[in-house]
Amino acid sequence: MGLKKPRSGADLRPIAERAYARDEAGLGVQLDDPDPALRRWAARDLASHPGAGRRLCARLLVESDPSVREALFTSAAQVGGHAVVDGILPLLRSEQPALRNGAIELLGGLPDVVAPRIQALLQDADSDVRIFTINLLGNLSHPGVPQWLVQVLAREDEINVIGAALEVLAEVGGPETLEPLRAVRARFGDNPFITFAADVAIERIGSA
Amino acid sequence: MKTEAVTAAPIITEADFKKFTEYFYRKTGIHFDDSKRYFVDKRLVDRIGATGAADFRAYFVGLRFETDGRELQNLINSMTVNETYFFRECYQFDCLVNHLLDEVVAGKRKGDRVRIWSIPSSTGEEPYSIAIYLLERWARIDDFEIEILSSDIDSKVLQAAQDGIYSTRSVAQLPKSYLNKYFTPCANGDWRISRDLVESVEFSRINLTEAGDTRRFRNIDVVFCRNLLIYFDDLSRRVAAEAMYDALNPGGFICLGHSESMSRISSLFRVRRFPDALVHQKPLEDRT
Amino acid sequence: MNAPIRILIVDDAATVRMYHRKILLDAGWQVEEACNGVEALERVHVHDGEGGYDFYVVDVNMPRLDGYSFVRELRRLGDAYQAPVLMVSTEARRGDTSAAFAAGANGYLVKPASPPELVMTAALLLGQGEAALAAAARIAPTRAATQGAAR
Repeated sequence: MGLKKPRSGADLRPIAERAYARDEAGLGVQLDDPDPALRRWAARDLASHPGAGRRLCARLLVESDPSVREALFTSAAQVGGHAVVDGILPLLRSEQPALRNGAIELLGGLPDVVAPRIQALLQDADSDVRIFTINLLGNLSHPGVPQWLVQVLAREDEINVIGAALEVLAEVGGPETLEPLRAVRARFGDNPFITFAADVAIERIGSA
Repeated sequence: MKTEAVTAAPIITEADFKKFTEYFYRKTGIHFDDSKRYFVDKRLVDRIGATGAADFRAYFVGLRFETDGRELQNLINSMTVNETYFFRECYQFDCLVNHLLDEVVAGKRKGDRVRIWSIPSSTGEEPYSIAIYLLERWARIDDFEIEILSSDIDSKVLQAAQDGIYSTRSVAQLPKSYLNKYFTPCANGDWRISRDLVESVEFSRINLTEAGDTRRFRNIDVVFCRNLLIYFDDLSRRVAAEAMYDALNPGGFICLGHSESMSRISSLFRVRRFPDALVHQKPLEDRT
Repeated sequence: MNAPIRILIVDDAATVRMYHRKILLDAGWQVEEACNGVEALERVHVHDGEGGYDFYVVDVNMPRLDGYSFVRELRRLGDAYQAPVLMVSTEARRGDTSAAFAAGANGYLVKPASPPELVMTAALLLGQGEAALAAAARIAPTRAATQGAAR
């Protein structure tokens, strides 16, 4: 016994008969298998199929196993594109924080596809959806982000939406955002959190 | 008389430092406090110069809004130490032989296989360090068949690993007795590792983010993936961790680098605290 | 004299962490931070000795591992990890408070908490009733304290 190199040519894994074809159709069926390990492998393998976005998102709506969910999100992020954005957006309204946050993270990585949808989301009737959209702006590499946030400050009344916008502006705001920041601070001068968050943003931007 | 324009070094204000460290912490989990001011400022100034940015603000905007993650990778490279050498971060090897392997073999019988995967192999210091640790510091080495697998994306370093020649700097942390036992000195002051050790490691060239490359790695008991994932972008990091999770046996362990965390990568691993180290474990059974 | 109270703030928003940190430091407690549930669990394990922290202020919405899942995992670690947890969230929707308590939390505040609200709730959950009243008296009451109640 002791240190031993694997026999050359030996497989590192036992060979098992595949129950499903590894093409997109077969993987799509495997995605519904009762065994979460098989579902996870199907989710992973679908990452290399550019047309699999819709299928991956559809499974996310009903998947409860955390290891399969993670693989679904990671694969959907790799596939990207409009079908994925369309399929993921409904998750912003999910009751489950894990699904909402997975959606925010995924969408944050697709700036060009997501950008045209942002305005509508920032004006959604549900304040939580507006907050989650701002969270996603926090990770979005798109030049429109600072201006979108300034628009939020101008029209919002919900404290937590404003708070979320101030959080992101502290990082992405430029000198042109100082005036809107001071205006918000004046408007909510008796709210300790808003004044605190506005002061942080002003301090971060104010230099240079 | 000609006057030359003097370009002053860009200034990093306190507010700039806070903005930068919050961003860096969010992206990497690495936290720089005020005591690291000089360290961080110096490297920021370097990166500002390297990217041709006019000042910190311009540099930060470029960094924050880039779409390919390239400057962030350069930045992380400059903020972290990349050196490899024998017995680097050896507290994890202590943990391996003092605790992890005992748990790994708890369900195995004498003669069963134990599989350890070291990624990246780089020039071999890590997999060979593991081999030496097992030979010298694990009492039960003869009870099991231990396979050491080691992979890298770069075929040049893999070749160097198999050549097995190391500088005095690289072997400096080894106890003298190990150095004399497992290496022979070269004429130029370098050290050549024994062929037995070279032959005890199975090297392979893989891309950790390619499912096709990693699919064949299964039933791994311990993964060492130290100071690699931090250099990946967010998505690649998750893809790589996904591959390692599926490569591991239930109950298998993964050791990340000293300043690395699973918190920006995956929620599937359980944190385990041992006297020597904090490691991450694939759960033994499903907990939905 | 007892060892100082150590609090872990778990929130992905840096500004919110800073805000809560300042309030709790002013109240005389020690504060550490984590930005999501996975990092929080890592910190719990790094913390010297058994039992992690004395008190947790935990946001619901975080990437990687949300607040409810963190609290569930914390409680699973064993008898030594039952320190009080206060969940904070922007949500006040149906089911959220019951989800928090089902996960093992001891309290729930809707964001943003005013300084007196946060300190008093923390002190009460820590079993420091008198300290709670003293802290509330130290912090000048603002209109925001009553504003927080009206949603």
